[in-house]
Amino acid sequence: MAAASFMLRGVEVRFGGTQVLREVDLDVVAGERIALVGPSGAGKTTLLRVLNGVVQPTAGHGLMDGTDLSSLRPGELRAWRARVGFVPQDHALVPNLRVVQNVVSGRLGRRGFWSAARSLAFPTRSDLEAAHALLERVGIEEKLYARTDTLSGGQQQRVAIARALFQEPDALLADEPVASVDPARARDLIRLLTELAEERGLTLIASLHDLALAREFFPRVIGLRAGRKVVDGRPASLNEEDVRALYRLEPGHED
Amino acid sequence: MSVRSIGWNPVMKTDPRILRRPPPLGRRGLILLLIVAAAVFAWQGLGLSLGQLGAGNGGGWSLAGDFFGAALSPALHYEAELVPAGTTHFLLRVLESVRATVVFAAAGMSLALVLGLVLGCLASEAWWEGSGRIGTSLRWVLRALIVMMRSVHELLWAVVFLAAFGAAPATAVIAIALPFGGTLAKVFSEMIDEAPRRPSQALLALGATPAQRFLFSLLPSAAPDMASYAFYRFECAVRSAAVMGFFGIPTLGYFLKLSFENLHFREVWTYLYALIAVVLLLEGWSALLRRRFVA
Amino acid sequence: MSAAERVSALRRARPRNRLLRGSLLALAVLTSYSWFAGDFDLAELFNAQRSGNLARFLSVDAMPRPLRDGAEPGELSGWFSEQWSGRGLEAAGLSLAIAVLAIVLAGAAAALLSPFAARTLMICDPYVPHTRHNRACHIGWRALCSVTRLFAVLLRAIPEYVWAFVLLAIFGPNAWPAVLALAIHNAGILGRLGAETIENLPPGPMAAMRAAGAERRHIAAAALFPLALPRFLLLFFYRFETCVRESTVLGMLGVLSLGYWVNEARARLRYDELLFLVALGALLVMAADIASQLARKFVRGEGRSNSSRLDEQLA
Repeated sequence: MAAASFMLRGVEVRFGGTQVLREVDLDVVAGERIALVGPSGAGKTTLLRVLNGVVQPTAGHGLMDGTDLSSLRPGELRAWRARVGFVPQDHALVPNLRVVQNVVSGRLGRRGFWSAARSLAFPTRSDLEAAHALLERVGIEEKLYARTDTLSGGQQQRVAIARALFQEPDALLADEPVASVDPARARDLIRLLTELAEERGLTLIASLHDLALAREFFPRVIGLRAGRKVVDGRPASLNEEDVRALYRLEPGHED
Repeated sequence: MSVRSIGWNPVMKTDPRILRRPPPLGRRGLILLLIVAAAVFAWQGLGLSLGQLGAGNGGGWSLAGDFFGAALSPALHYEAELVPAGTTHFLLRVLESVRATVVFAAAGMSLALVLGLVLGCLASEAWWEGSGRIGTSLRWVLRALIVMMRSVHELLWAVVFLAAFGAAPATAVIAIALPFGGTLAKVFSEMIDEAPRRPSQALLALGATPAQRFLFSLLPSAAPDMASYAFYRFECAVRSAAVMGFFGIPTLGYFLKLSFENLHFREVWTYLYALIAVVLLLEGWSALLRRRFVA
Repeated sequence: MSAAERVSALRRARPRNRLLRGSLLALAVLTSYSWFAGDFDLAELFNAQRSGNLARFLSVDAMPRPLRDGAEPGELSGWFSEQWSGRGLEAAGLSLAIAVLAIVLAGAAAALLSPFAARTLMICDPYVPHTRHNRACHIGWRALCSVTRLFAVLLRAIPEYVWAFVLLAIFGPNAWPAVLALAIHNAGILGRLGAETIENLPPGPMAAMRAAGAERRHIAAAALFPLALPRFLLLFFYRFETCVRESTVLGMLGVLSLGYWVNEARARLRYDELLFLVALGALLVMAADIASQLARKFVRGEGRSNSSRLDEQLA
């Protein structure tokens, strides 16, 4: 399995009248692990969604593994999305399905409609065992058949990670994976994500609020502010001035 | 005394907008007023008077006394003096009428459920997402069909089918299925469109097709609400099936009407209590399910 | 234990909903029984004789009479205006008036009924947590609540058509039986929904008033009523549409609403006029549906704003 690489050139994203990303250039080598930091509303989620192929840049180019996403037909675009595992901030699991069904739904993008329907209603033995192994890896194997909405926030986050891994992706994008867990568990989760990326040779990009976690676990940190990339480098090279620039509130501008 | 003259902070001027008086009648007050006005208008249009309720109809009041008096002693046997030999026991006939009522309700409802599921999915915004102008116009055609199905009362459908096919019990089943199917379709499509979109977006991010996203995230999310609503409609279908008896289908209404016309009010109350029992049973059952599965 | 064994063990131990499964099974059995019990025969509707009936109905009976007599479609306007002004307009107006008066009476009755059916209010010391109950007081309030709820059940479990049938015998052929039948049934429904609304209100404001020494009726007037009113109005308009639907058929019992003329047309075997009246009823219900939706939107004081759409896209 080859890890995925990303290259963005002058990417802009605009929703209605709101400019969310401005002139973002980004090069991600296959297998890199990157923390994406910045204040709320800086465009972190949108950047991840551009990389996922779910949001089309209003201007600029995104080359994923050397292919321009805007040149792909819908089916090819879906195939790209299937290669990228995305762990959304709010887990986005179907609450009244069992955990196993949510995990197995990870491979929808690689299956036809009917085989997908069968796999969700009657998962094959190999699907079941793969799902179980993943849940074991993220530490909640006993929840295989539990109803998803009976799980805690942290456990649901782990299910979302297992769903993304069940995709057998080449890259893992995690949007604020620790936003809904307490600090001790946050470290565990980030460690888990980085270990998983390492052992599977995945490209990992995780957006984070906590700069300390980013410094501890990621060899590269990218800072976004108001849609612009303002920091990009090794955590060691990040000085106080950079950090202050990243989080400084503009006068008269709250949030 | 104006607020400004309190003067605890003479530097700060009160924003004049704060002092502006609110409109005398709020949005809700206006609605209440309009409702009362509509009621007065309707009253006059119908030419009603309270007198019609009272002295105008002396016989009516004694009938009412007899009828509601019988509520406390529902019949356990036929009230008629002479019952032909071999007639089934009264309570067995009540049971049979309840059975027939439930049968017609269940049959009509099962047909309605199929109609409602198919049309409800096809009429939802989510189904046609991203399919452009053709999808939107097809959806409007379907919605018009649904509106036509549910805007005609089931008894009117029954009358129309009676005219079209001639007398047959099966027309009652279709008469229930059409408007109930339409109502289910409308509510189902709304529930599907109100289901949380985030899981569906997560499936989009992993490369699922629109059909997969519909079936594996929107539909399961909406399913508990849909089931709960369908159960409630089943209860309504039981009432409707009972009323269809007034039009000759051998359900509860048929026997109730016979007993009432023979002035056997205690029998009428037995039928009514039987109907109430069925409705309460279904209500309790659905409440039990709702408490467990719809938070 | 191998992975496969562990998966099977977890599968065996999975939480199962006996109630749900049992209910689904029971409903499936009931449904199949209903189709095979022989009370009706759907296939029989499509045999040769029935098909003949249907074909005759569609090609002859359902045609407006002038068309059958050889008139051109263009000459139909006379027939339409005759149907419309002859009785259609008046009957539709009466149906609407019956529904309006009935829903207003029902709403007023339910507004009085629902506080007495709300379990959060009908206790010894409402909105005070951890209170020590006086047993007799507790039982008294509970009993009042239960009696009210039972009364509401009696009102709504009996279909409006049955109520109208009974009331017609009592009050004779004027609009009262229809109005009262609809009002009684809907008072039961709105009473229960209103009680649920009150029970689901956030208890904060009421608890604060109670803590400040307010009595039950003060709370009801100053906190419950304003808090519950918008929700109650939504229910009111939701039931209004159903009322219009029902009032179109109550006329079949003898009130001069649409249903009366439907029956009359059926008795004269004038199926063209019957269909005209049915379609008119459908239009009336559609209009009521639209009015009810508009009113509910107005109560909520909203239209879906663009900004919330944008939030969704950004999320």
